[in-house]
Amino acid sequence: MVKLITHNLLCCHARGCNYPENFPLVFRDVTQLEVREADFNAEFLQKMMPRLEWTALVNTAKQLGDTSLPEEMPQGDAVDEGILKKLHHVLMEIHIEEGAMHCPKCDHKYPILQGIPNMLLAEHEIGR
Amino acid sequence: MALIPHNTSQLEALRQDPALHESTYVHAVYDSIADHFSQTRYKPWPIIAAFLASLPPGSMGLDSGCGNGKYLPLDQDGKIMLVGMDRSLGLLAHAQRAGGKGREVLRGDALGVFWRHDAFDFAISIATIHHLSTPERRRQAVEALLRSVSVSHGRVLIYVWATEQDELSKRTIPEDPERKGKKAQDVFVPWQKAIGKGKEKGKEGGDQKQEVHQRYYHMFEKGELRGLVMQAAKSLELQVLEDAEDVKVPSVQIVQEGWERSNWYVELLLRAPA
Repeated sequence: MVKLITHNLLCCHARGCNYPENFPLVFRDVTQLEVREADFNAEFLQKMMPRLEWTALVNTAKQLGDTSLPEEMPQGDAVDEGILKKLHHVLMEIHIEEGAMHCPKCDHKYPILQGIPNMLLAEHEIGR
Repeated sequence: MALIPHNTSQLEALRQDPALHESTYVHAVYDSIADHFSQTRYKPWPIIAAFLASLPPGSMGLDSGCGNGKYLPLDQDGKIMLVGMDRSLGLLAHAQRAGGKGREVLRGDALGVFWRHDAFDFAISIATIHHLSTPERRRQAVEALLRSVSVSHGRVLIYVWATEQDELSKRTIPEDPERKGKKAQDVFVPWQKAIGKGKEKGKEGGDQKQEVHQRYYHMFEKGELRGLVMQAAKSLELQVLEDAEDVKVPSVQIVQEGWERSNWYVELLLRAPA
């Protein structure tokens, strides 16, 4: 299951692709998306939040039909339980089971089958 | 159980096409033995459990070569999170539901860095790098770990099998056919699984009617893991620090290293000037 918390870390590693042009990967042909309840851990979310690529997260959630997150990452007192609950839902409860992720630069396709993305590239495709 | 050293023609094949050697003697084997293997891999090792318990809440980590995912449930009651990565789909099917819960897993290999800049707070590589068949590929795997974590605070823990095995180990390592008096390092480790009627049981050793799979391992000698870290650091232009001194350039500190239960391990900390 690809959650958006994992998607927020992934980028394309094909030859010629570099950060930030290779990020975020774009979901396409999503034929199975599931929402599954997950344990809420406020401390985890609060502490990891500053490490997110916020804009990428908000835009990806929108593409999947979830518009609950604000455009700007909330700071200080604005990080209340309400916002953490929304963040929890977007990061931890939306699962992409079947579909693909494409590189925004080179369009390389990383298929997702039974919830497992295949990030392998052929030896000649890899950029190091 | 005696490990089998590579003969000259096997060594030649390995050097000619290391990726093919790993594909035949590592990836294909794990896919065939995944279910049996998974039944035997459930006890976390103490230093690794302690490492995971020492991480601050909110830490995101990569388990590179997660196998059946035995470390993924050690998420400190949800205060940290581990993403599992492995080459074997057979093992990932187990990792995906390790500890009876849905886990985040991906298919990839230990040389790949498909993570954005500053992605993880920590990475673990447990019993993985010893499946890579040349010094260059093992160095690249260490580089991949260092490149996957934060340059300012990323922590990395690596475990590999040692040529020095303790009395609890049932493995005996033969002499290297090319280096008199030295232990063989490029070896096959047989995985035997009982076939036929009754309860199937996979293990290293045994004497029933068996189906045998040969897994490739590179056994690490004393100092070799540190050597790899030094080379990877050099290639990434990181200065190597022995203690918590002030840093003036991007650096990697060796926090601890040692030998535990027939394995060599090293813990690293990436540091950047303030």
